Amino acid sequence: MTRNGETVKWITARRRHPLAGYVVVTLALTLFGVGYAVIAPGAERAEAQTLAAEAAAAEEQPTAEDVAEGREIYNKTCASCHGPNGEAGEGYTGPDITGEGAAAVDFQVSTGRMPSMNPDAQMPRKPPVLNQEEIDDLLAYYNAELGDPGAPGVPSSDIPGEPPKRADFEDHGAYEEALEEWEAKYEDYIEGAKNPNAGMELYLANCAHCHSWSGQGGALTGGRWAPEIGDATPLQIYEAMITGPGTMPEFSDKVITPDEKQDLIAYVKDLQAEPNAGGIFDLNRVAQVAEGFIAWTVGLTLIVACAIWITAKQRTHD
Amino acid sequence: MTRTTQAPKALRNAGNYIDDRFHLAKTGKKQLGKVFPNHWSFMLGEIALYSFIILLVTGVFLTLWFKPSMAEIVYDGAYEPMQGVTMSEAYASTLYINFEVRGGMLIRQIHHWAALIFLAAMLIHMLRVFFTGAFRKPREINWLIGIALFALAMVEGLFGYSLPDDLPSGMGVRILQGVMMALPIVGPYASMFLFGGAFPGEDIIPRLYMLHILLIPGILLALVGAHILILWHQKHTQYPGKGHTEKRVVGTPMLPAFAVKGGAFFFFVFAVITALSGFVQINPIHLFGPFTPTSITSGLQPDWYMGFMEGSLRIFPNWFDIDVAGYSIPTAVLVPGLVVPGLVFGAMALWPFVEAWISGDRRHHNVADRPRNAPVRTGMGVAGITFYGLLWMAGSNDILSETFSISLYATTWFFRITVIVGPIIGFIIAKRACLGLQRRDREQLEHGYESGTIQQLPSGEFIEVHKESSEDVVHVLESKEPVSRIDVRALDENGVEAPSSRGLMGRLRLRLAEWYTRDNVSFEGVEPHTGHHLRHGAHGEDNLSPQDREEAATT
Amino acid sequence: MTDTNRNHDNDGAEGPDRVIGTPSSAAGSRVIADNPQGDASQEGAYSPEETHTRPEELQRKGERTAAMWFTLAFLGGVGFLVSYFLFPPDAEGHPSIASPLIGQWSNMLMGGTLALSLFGIAAGMTVWARQIMPHYEVANDYDELPSPPEEKSSFSDFFMRGADESGFTKRPLMRRTLLLAMAPLGLAPIVLLRDTGPLPRDTLRHTLWEPGMHMVVEGAARHGEEGWIHEDDLTPGGMISALPYVEPDAEHPHGLSLNDQAQTVILLIKMHEREFSEEMTREQRNWTHNGIVAYSKICTHVGCPAALYESESHRILCPCHQSTFDATNGAKVVFGPANRPLPMLPITVDEEGYLVADGDFSEPVGPTFWDAQRGK
Repeated sequence: MTRNGETVKWITARRRHPLAGYVVVTLALTLFGVGYAVIAPGAERAEAQTLAAEAAAAEEQPTAEDVAEGREIYNKTCASCHGPNGEAGEGYTGPDITGEGAAAVDFQVSTGRMPSMNPDAQMPRKPPVLNQEEIDDLLAYYNAELGDPGAPGVPSSDIPGEPPKRADFEDHGAYEEALEEWEAKYEDYIEGAKNPNAGMELYLANCAHCHSWSGQGGALTGGRWAPEIGDATPLQIYEAMITGPGTMPEFSDKVITPDEKQDLIAYVKDLQAEPNAGGIFDLNRVAQVAEGFIAWTVGLTLIVACAIWITAKQRTHD
Repeated sequence: MTRTTQAPKALRNAGNYIDDRFHLAKTGKKQLGKVFPNHWSFMLGEIALYSFIILLVTGVFLTLWFKPSMAEIVYDGAYEPMQGVTMSEAYASTLYINFEVRGGMLIRQIHHWAALIFLAAMLIHMLRVFFTGAFRKPREINWLIGIALFALAMVEGLFGYSLPDDLPSGMGVRILQGVMMALPIVGPYASMFLFGGAFPGEDIIPRLYMLHILLIPGILLALVGAHILILWHQKHTQYPGKGHTEKRVVGTPMLPAFAVKGGAFFFFVFAVITALSGFVQINPIHLFGPFTPTSITSGLQPDWYMGFMEGSLRIFPNWFDIDVAGYSIPTAVLVPGLVVPGLVFGAMALWPFVEAWISGDRRHHNVADRPRNAPVRTGMGVAGITFYGLLWMAGSNDILSETFSISLYATTWFFRITVIVGPIIGFIIAKRACLGLQRRDREQLEHGYESGTIQQLPSGEFIEVHKESSEDVVHVLESKEPVSRIDVRALDENGVEAPSSRGLMGRLRLRLAEWYTRDNVSFEGVEPHTGHHLRHGAHGEDNLSPQDREEAATT
Repeated sequence: MTDTNRNHDNDGAEGPDRVIGTPSSAAGSRVIADNPQGDASQEGAYSPEETHTRPEELQRKGERTAAMWFTLAFLGGVGFLVSYFLFPPDAEGHPSIASPLIGQWSNMLMGGTLALSLFGIAAGMTVWARQIMPHYEVANDYDELPSPPEEKSSFSDFFMRGADESGFTKRPLMRRTLLLAMAPLGLAPIVLLRDTGPLPRDTLRHTLWEPGMHMVVEGAARHGEEGWIHEDDLTPGGMISALPYVEPDAEHPHGLSLNDQAQTVILLIKMHEREFSEEMTREQRNWTHNGIVAYSKICTHVGCPAALYESESHRILCPCHQSTFDATNGAKVVFGPANRPLPMLPITVDEEGYLVADGDFSEPVGPTFWDAQRGK
């Protein structure tokens, strides 16, 4: 209280100081700048994700046990909207998913978009509710009992998905091993792209108009948006292309072949991982809008601050 | 400085050598003593000047490697991610500057940041001049030159942005071409001539290059020269203050202090731009990829100064397009592309003359107006800023939509409405604020300032002690002149209206003059420090203006 | 400012220049700091106590501060030169700026040191001007505007005499023929620009598309027939950006110049036929094949690729200015500034089911020009 009182007094005594106005303006601008810096999402996300920790890729054929577990998961988390057979129908809010295919299920669940509380709104990417094992079980059940066999299944197991998470392992050694294995797989896939240049052309011709040149996403009509794809794993990008989640069009394996998809994914991932040769601040790779904003708020403000220093009134005592 | 030292011999000799040939001693002394008023806002134009110099220097450096050619090549330079990509030589040579010339990336980024700062500085310099009425007689011509400079700099920037032939830069050219095509009858011809055929052709970059490095900078340089010469000849305006009159300008002389201050400021500008260029990536063309006419990125934007045109292209609907018998006039392209910039620049160019015509003010002005003392002008300025600012924001409506999760069309509609309503509200608020400030000034002039000290009078009443403002403040407050106006109801001795107020234009002018001056707070008869607040306990009624009496009655 | 001061001033050389607060140098050392109640109170923005020279002690302090800044600037400058040589371009086995990470380092080191150096110089100079130089203001008279009447009339007389002597006003024949002579010369620069480009003629109305032409995926590096798009390749809800197939040569992987690409590029969209709008004309329906429809990818507004297809709402959005077209209804404009629908490319299949064009676009491609829809 007294401290506050003193502060107020201190301010009151100085509020008519000739420099008071400048101080207020400078403070306001600083606040603005810091505010922006806080709001602006961190740039390191993409890299952090790549290095993040985690689970093994179970490649064995699913057992009946897995299918049973999957059924339980389905009934617990999915059936309330999609119905007991995945056909939804009368009284259910969700769509019929029998024709969507396992790739779509994997995409929706592994990106945390499903299960969703609000079937009408576009879901943002979230940490997945189910862990890898549960997702595998769910897919086993879906393939065995719900899905239409003609719909796109989960693509080749060479395509890396989420890196293993530490929490899914009991001992550290197994985790390390799984992580290493995953990293090798990731590298094989990205480095193995035969023609990343074609990947660039395909990306610019078919993807950049929604997801932007940097993969930062963009606005769509009706309040929807094309999501940022920095966090998406190669597997998720692949699945998104073949299933066309939400309003995204489908790019079947015949239109863009698996090899070309690999090129495209390699291009995006390489671009996102590339350090910014122009300096550490990449302005979130938004480019022109952010550049103009910085030119005004940082550049011009600093220069004007210098002008104020140069021309400030000079008293004998300063 | 306490003693004049004898000039060193070498300097004297050099001086004599020059003077023998140019007779400069007298002029030299006079010019070196040129006065620069001390206020930061008089340095804004200098920011523009210095960034222009930086642009010239860095631009020359870039030309050493840049190849303005659209010939298609397969890149085999040092930058790995692009190896094997088909691209134009222009793009490849820009990659070369980025990755194979040491400091090339830095200089490119300095060039780009300096361009953004150049235009930003010009804009706020212009706003300073506008709001302080520094464009008034005798400086109207310099104001016009300033507008020409701004418009040319915009074009210069657009062309520079287009040269590297990366994905967004090519789209800027495409939009330029699209706007040209929309011109009735001449459009397709103009486009074919500029591009040397169909879009994109192979000529546009060499042609833009010539315009960007030769023609436009040449004109800019000439205009900057004229701008500064006129300024030098007419001398700076100055803010009101002690000793600052319409007849004489007060400030720091060029030699010694201002020369050093100006030099320091150049280095400050350069330092800030360089620091930005060192650490903040700008226009990463190597990440964008080369231009193809068939690809596009979301969030495509021009540099900030073209933002208002981009915005008007986005929000102007196609409702007014004219389609008759197979002939189309796409007003949704022509209005934003031509009418809006015409309106913005035209209004700015005409304003000094319109204002002088309305107010009938033909005097010379050297002391700057305080913005509050010209409420209508300030209001118009704020309306203009609002209009421009909203269009500018509309130019990034997709980014706004995505960042704040607003429906895309909702942002379009928001801007469609606010672009019309916003300036009106801005005008009203700014004018009201000015008038309020005028009243406060009058109050302070009469009663001194509120000291923040509360006293209790013997009667138990609490008052805030008012103190006399400093002499300097009084000077500033007293600088308010009655807003000059033509005599609205002037009748000559025969009871006939003055000729200037007759006819359609005359009546329009009368109405405008009334609107321009109507609400102004009069300072007439206000003597500094005569108000009752300074003499509490001794409410002398004799010195009070009617307004004060009213006030005294209500308190 | 007082008369006393004026007496010292300028040694009579220049009227207008006058130092406020300090006398001219000729007057020796009397500065206002020594004379705080001095006569400077009448003019200038500053009250007398703010008009001063600095005591020697302060000046010395200022000198040290400035010197510190300049030294910093020197070090920055040296650092700049060092960082230049630290990262050679294109050197075997050495860190090269062609690698983005090293480029970033090089850029930040060079930019940082250069900025430091420049800032040091700027700050040092500011300290120099503010702490070492005496502080005072001077006044200059503004020029008297306009010129006095005598000067004006003298000029006017002089000018008119010259004009009369020249006979320019009195000799209309000469004057008019001179102006006449100028006219063609004035036109010459405009005429000379004629060869900057060809006339449009009907180039804007035709593209490379011909009946029977196959299509390939834009950007995909597939060769020959392998790259042709088959009608079964597209699934409902699918979209792809495509170009006509022509025999490739070395220069153009697609065999297409950028100009041709700019005109021929299409969006192939597949949906269920039942999703087509009722409003679609019979002709437009004929241009589709089995739910596949082809639109020009170039926006009719100002020519950006309108590529953003939303498979749920079937809207095609141009990311530049947000013109929106309805893909189910002949790309009719449903929002935004575009003047007319995206031109449609009639398509069909060959006997093996590969998609082929069935003619050229329905309308001129690209930004709408004044007679774009003539003869439709």
